Amino acid sequence: MGRIIGIDLGTTYSLVAYTEPETGRPRCLPDEEGRTLVPSVVSLEESGAVVVGWPARERLLRQPERTVYSVKRLMGRGRADVADELKLFPFRVAPGSESVIQIDLGGKVFTPPEVSAFVLRELKRRAEKFFGEEVTRAVITVPAYFNDAQRQATKDAGRIAGLEVERLVNEPTAASLAYGLDKHQRALIAVYDFGGGTFDISILRLEEGLFKVQSTNGDTHLGGDDIDNLLLEKVRAEIRTRFQVEVADDADRYQVLREAVIAAKHELSEKEHAPLRFALDGPSASFPSTPLRAGRASRGEYVRELTRAEFESWIAPIIERTLAPCRMALKDAGVKPEQIDEVVLVGGSTRIPLVRRRVQELFGRQPHTELNPDEVVALGAALQARILEGGLKDMLLLDVTPLSLGIETMGGAVAKIIPRNATIPASAAEMFTTYADKQTGVEIHVVQGERELVRDCRSLARFTLRVPPQPAGLPRVEVKFLIDANGILSVTARDLRTGEERSVEVKPSYGLTDDEVESMILESIEHAEADFAAVQLLGARNEAETILRATARALTEEQARELSGDERRQIESARAALEAALRTDDYKLIRQRLDELNQATHHLAELLMDTAVQTALKGKRADEVKL
Amino acid sequence: MSQRAMKKSGAGVLLACWECRGALAGVPPAANHFCDQCGKVQPLGGEADYFSFFRLPRRLGLDPAQLEKQFHDLSWKLHPDRFHQAGDYERSLSLERTAVLNDAYRTLRDPVSRVEYLLRLEGVRKDGEVKQQAPADLLEEVFELNEYLEELRAAKSAGGDARALDDLRHRLEKTRAAFQEKLDAVLAELTAQFSAWDERGDRAALVRLSEILNRHSYIRNLVRNVTEELES
Repeated sequence: MGRIIGIDLGTTYSLVAYTEPETGRPRCLPDEEGRTLVPSVVSLEESGAVVVGWPARERLLRQPERTVYSVKRLMGRGRADVADELKLFPFRVAPGSESVIQIDLGGKVFTPPEVSAFVLRELKRRAEKFFGEEVTRAVITVPAYFNDAQRQATKDAGRIAGLEVERLVNEPTAASLAYGLDKHQRALIAVYDFGGGTFDISILRLEEGLFKVQSTNGDTHLGGDDIDNLLLEKVRAEIRTRFQVEVADDADRYQVLREAVIAAKHELSEKEHAPLRFALDGPSASFPSTPLRAGRASRGEYVRELTRAEFESWIAPIIERTLAPCRMALKDAGVKPEQIDEVVLVGGSTRIPLVRRRVQELFGRQPHTELNPDEVVALGAALQARILEGGLKDMLLLDVTPLSLGIETMGGAVAKIIPRNATIPASAAEMFTTYADKQTGVEIHVVQGERELVRDCRSLARFTLRVPPQPAGLPRVEVKFLIDANGILSVTARDLRTGEERSVEVKPSYGLTDDEVESMILESIEHAEADFAAVQLLGARNEAETILRATARALTEEQARELSGDERRQIESARAALEAALRTDDYKLIRQRLDELNQATHHLAELLMDTAVQTALKGKRADEVKL
Repeated sequence: MSQRAMKKSGAGVLLACWECRGALAGVPPAANHFCDQCGKVQPLGGEADYFSFFRLPRRLGLDPAQLEKQFHDLSWKLHPDRFHQAGDYERSLSLERTAVLNDAYRTLRDPVSRVEYLLRLEGVRKDGEVKQQAPADLLEEVFELNEYLEELRAAKSAGGDARALDDLRHRLEKTRAAFQEKLDAVLAELTAQFSAWDERGDRAALVRLSEILNRHSYIRNLVRNVTEELES
């Protein structure tokens, strides 16, 4: 069935990981330069080419209006949900974004799932390069507090990228899997996950390999981004007072300033002071921040020293906002803070000392920080992938749904049918009938949220249940709501009088319909095929060059003298043929010539191997003699 | 017997495994999680009764530790993660059965929802039927509580002085504590009634349980509202 990779699709960074079947150990896949992180940034070139990751992050400074970041915050959302933060993004939102946001990148329009799909395709490519074969299946992580629409949007992104999403797994839960806490212990664990754009808290009970989530809470709009924006606002205001310059008017400079405050934020996690320097009218920026000549504060340069104390006083209210969800989660789990045995920190924002102090105060114990907080979620995703592959039989995750599921009743009230923190998969059945004679449809409105009134909850979907025209109250239709292990809802209806069962097409209130996703897949498939062919070609070229080098070297070895003249001629002609093939872009031809050279050098390889084995054995004997 | 007839027949009838056609034990289909012969997970076979799903008698007193152990054991065996490489049909059976496992455990482990469920099964209550009428003996206290709540809301929106607000909060805290005590007492009263049903199958006990439940949910909502108001 093919391997399954684990993906952390983060607000700021994304990663791909897999679990070695032999050792059961997860590892993140690095790029050529050894970096496991891929910035979740996508840029569209004038030429129409799509750039993802580090190079896209550089373009954020040069072409901010053609570059998107933090798109995760827009997943499964309508324009009204994110009006405030759209003001902070440099990119434009196209008209008609009420139920699905449309991002305008230099005249071309993309939905958040499509943008995420570009990031996913980059990770997919990285995995394919590593394994040397196509990868089509993935486990993708989502914030535990993501609602149905946000989960569905993530799944759509996977499909658009050519990945079958085998499971969506909650980020804090994934982290707890990866943390390698002694599986055989019994412990109550709190996972505090403060990332680039989202905050989650999960309370889990671990028992003999069973990771049972007791409760979860969070805020899908609270993360390091908010700290960056706050710093940016403070500094912008200072610049305005000091220089009468509005930095935000210049999109390029504004992104440079953003990079500068982020760098200062990072530095303050290590040091008590961080310098902040920003040339108001500097030249076009170079990544990561404009180097400035030390000590020369020109009129057009903002220079300031930021202390950790000042930084902490600014961001304290943001950190404070993570504590209420923590208390709620504890209350829902029915436990007191002092009952928690282990506290695990996940997400880049947990590097901030103030965050660590607050968490320690709340739970009264030192939190775990052994694992890289950027990688731990991806590692957990890889472990879950291995579980689904049928390995790791001594681990099982029982997760919960973060929000109550309800249906609208008379007067706009909500009848809860599946409570929050119910273990998933979970289901509920409701009976519906008609209130007018010959009525043929019953309107059903599904919502998610904790409040009593529909208008205070999040609309998930509306649909009309078809019923045969009969006297009022006679039809009896049982509607079954099922939340699967991904936390995604599906609906089936059964007519109790006829026994007929059918699935109900649910039109999401915020999201793409199946047809829309389908057409996006078609659009992207051409790209994907081209991409895959390129990867294959690259792989074959590398292999060809390796074998050509090895052959050349082998022919100079002493053992090569034992080759017959015929054999030598065959090798020479196969070498020449492969070199000729390499001058083309024909993957099949290169592959064929490669195989031919492999055939021709078979005997040569054996000769070398024999010697190698003999040498190895000699070496061993020598060792033994020594003993 | 035709397949249709087999599906319709209830407990005590031998059914066959969908895979090996071996006979399944005579328990209700909901409790036939696996085939004894080939080990395949089995369909629920219609409406599942949560008690029989766990092979429990329809009684209110149960051992929570025993129930949890059964829940864990069945989770290990039934969870969709364990069937990810199986065929579509088996995967759908695993999903369906695990959803019911979770629903059943959630319902039965909590004494209040367990009673609610039993009352529905026994036809004493209908779905979602809860009386939202204040119990007569509590009228006076409820009236007082609502007054405090109104005052607090008014003071909050008027941005009144901090001392008056604190005073109000303090009084509400005290009232909430008093109601919380009553809630605990009602819960004790509820569990005290379990044996009347469990030992004698006394239907009058069910009616009595239904009344206690109404009182319980009324006070519970009250406490919840006050808590929300105090914390907001």
